[in-house]
Amino acid sequence: MELFDTTQIGLERALSGASLRQQAIAQNIANVNTPGYRRQDVDFQSALHAAWDEGESSVERVAPSVAVDQSAVMRADGSSVDIDNEAASQAKNGLQYEAITSVMKVRTAILRTAIGGA
Amino acid sequence: MGLFDAIDASGSGLSAERLRMDVTSENLANAQTTKGADGQPYRRKEVVLQEAGATATSFATVLSSLQGGRSGGAGVTHGVKVSGIVEDATALKRIYDPGHPDADKNGYVTMPNVNTVTEMTDLISSSRAYEANVTAMQTAKTMFTKTLDLLR
Repeated sequence: MELFDTTQIGLERALSGASLRQQAIAQNIANVNTPGYRRQDVDFQSALHAAWDEGESSVERVAPSVAVDQSAVMRADGSSVDIDNEAASQAKNGLQYEAITSVMKVRTAILRTAIGGA
Repeated sequence: MGLFDAIDASGSGLSAERLRMDVTSENLANAQTTKGADGQPYRRKEVVLQEAGATATSFATVLSSLQGGRSGGAGVTHGVKVSGIVEDATALKRIYDPGHPDADKNGYVTMPNVNTVTEMTDLISSSRAYEANVTAMQTAKTMFTKTLDLLR
């Protein structure tokens, strides 16, 4: 086993995805009053999930990217931002990020113990 | 780069919403102004918001483009910007008040096209949007602190 295995790399990718997702949500909230604005979102989970079965090199290649949400607009000013939705996504994403960092922290602690540097 | 972009986006939202509040306050303050700086009755002002494009000169943008967008984020978030403050062209109100110094020969005074109810709802809307931006900024900050925590 290598020092940093697939799980560690996967966690790192997920962390970077969640961070990018926070950017997209912040952008959506900043543009809550911009007429005609289309909301953005990041779906890193599905790409990561698919790559996981293919092994480490695939996981390493996963690059989360921002996509514009093309779903139907329900606001009269043509903006597709729903502030309640954004707030919920943001809360969820923040918790997810926290969970990933916690797991990463435990894994680093395990590694550190194994190395004997604890 | 990373979470700082999220904080920047929220920051631009904060200043945009604050400007909306400023303009709404000006409209309310001038709701009865029959003579502006140009001698005409006051016209309601409105802030036009627009999604901000990339600023080619910002450090993060230059760095990200030099790295081929590898610095965790394809440089997509630039927040919001104010594209202008425009005057509302809707018709001015006319009220009958012959004693007013600005009344015309028929006794009618042209009043500003400011509707207090509209202004109040605008004020609530911008104040709530401001709060939402603060929350987004706080979340980004918490996330970043968590990352720094990994180093401990």
